[in-house]
This record gives sequence, structure tokens and C-alpha cells, in this order.
Amino acid sequence: MAVQVPQVTTLRLMTLTLALNVSAINAQPGTDEITVTDQTSQLVWGINGSGKKITASTSIAAPIFTLKVRALNPTKGTPAPEMILSTTPNDFLMNVGRSTGSCILSYTGIALASRGVGADSHVVTFTVVNQ
Amino acid sequence: MGIRNQLAFFSILLLAASVEAPAQTIAVQGGNQIIKLTGGTPIVDPMVSSNTTCTLQWKRPKNTAKITVSTICPGQKFTLKVYAINAQDGDAAPEVTLTTGMLAVDFVTNLNGNRTKTYTCTLRYTASATYAQGNSSELGGDDVHTVRYTILEQ
Repeated sequence: MAVQVPQVTTLRLMTLTLALNVSAINAQPGTDEITVTDQTSQLVWGINGSGKKITASTSIAAPIFTLKVRALNPTKGTPAPEMILSTTPNDFLMNVGRSTGSCILSYTGIALASRGVGADSHVVTFTVVNQ
Repeated sequence: MGIRNQLAFFSILLLAASVEAPAQTIAVQGGNQIIKLTGGTPIVDPMVSSNTTCTLQWKRPKNTAKITVSTICPGQKFTLKVYAINAQDGDAAPEVTLTTGMLAVDFVTNLNGNRTKTYTCTLRYTASATYAQGNSSELGGDDVHTVRYTILEQ
């Protein structure tokens, strides 16, 4: 009888679709920049390989507005600084090898009043890679 | 040879003839099995998986008997347990945690069935591993157990 444990990497998003609406209600008088933050999403993982980190990227190469993300209150690992999402994967959460855990996804949408109105539809991808 | 000596010699012969070679047979059917822990969603830690492919067959010896179990697994890294399901004779002991080099412990006790009959039970192996324990590749390979079942008088 043999017991075989292959490398297992599982990521699960608890909220698949999210809408960030930057509106005038979020505007500050005399300020061009309008921001809104959402912290209702959660990322859950199970990783039994050593030396792993999670990166994040988006599908939009040239968004109209800025979208940032950071890992909030991770139960395991070390959160990277808040980052502006780009098509290049960047560090999101470090030191998550051989662990199960979760974190809140803190998204911040930033719009400049001077840019006008519009909409960006992001597909955000989280990936487990070697650290 | 006097009569007394002849009687003593005959008595000794009878005593020797009454000792029987015990008809003890026990065998595992089902071959070598592999339990693979692959996780899944929702994410559950530890990962757990069971196998009930194998059966154990036995004939009991003269007196009330029992079956014990032990294992050898060099460099064991993960957890493996075994339990007798649907034993046709005797009482299944509580699920046994198989640890390499362990002393044999009770697996099925109070075997009292017909000595000419072959009895069976299903072997339920349950393996588990936490994510923190790692994976076979990083730790030098799978856990390979040689599980030993022994039937003996209770």
C-alpha cells in the first residue's frame, strides 16, 4: 500500500464578479482624483509546495481608469505592497508555500474627474508561482 | 522391555500425536494499491482519501484467535489508517493508525467461526496529509508501506 501526495495548488475566489462604481458621490471638492474601495471579495488557497507566492494581473493593457489591489488580513503569508494592476503579473502575496489560508481582496478604483466617464472590464488573474 | 516400560512408551506416543500443527492461513487479496491525495474544492485541510479495494482472508486456528496488524514504511511522511469492514467472523478493533516500526496491534478479535471455512473482511485504508506536510516529490517519494497481518491464538 502506497500513499502518494502530488503537488497540489488550489486557488478559489469567493466572489467572481465585482463592480466598482466611481461616481460623483465619491468626489472631494477641489480634487481631481476620485477613489472607491471594495473589500467584499476573498481569495482562498491550498498549496502543499514549498517556496510559493501569488501574483496578480489584469486582462486590460490600457485601462481608462486605475485599478489597484492588495491582500488584506491574510491568514498566512506576507502581503506585497498595493499595486496597480497591469497585464504583467506582479507580487500579490508572498511566502504561502505549504499552507492553506485566505485573504480579503482590497480593490481600489481611481478615476480622474478630468478624464470623463467610461468603464473598464477587468479579468483579474491570480497565479501561484515559485518565489 | 518390561510391561511398565512398554506402557510408558505408548503413553508418550499418544501425547505426541495429540499435538496438531495449526491450520493458520491469512492472505491479502487485491494487490498493491496507491492512495493519491489530490485536494479539491472546497479546500479541506488535511486532504483525505480512502481505498476499499483489498480484502483479507483467513482461516482461524484451533482456539479463539485474533488478527493483528503492523507496518514498515521507511521514512514515513503521511498518515495511513486501516479498519476492517464487514468482518465475517470476529469483532473489528477500532481503526488502527499505521506507523512504521509499530508493534502489532489488534485488528480483528474473537475469531470463533468454523475452522474449515475461509472468512473475509474488507480493508479500508484511509490516508491523509496536511498541506503543511508538503508533497511526495519534495520529500523524497511516496510512502510505501509493507503492512503485515498475523493470525494468532487470542
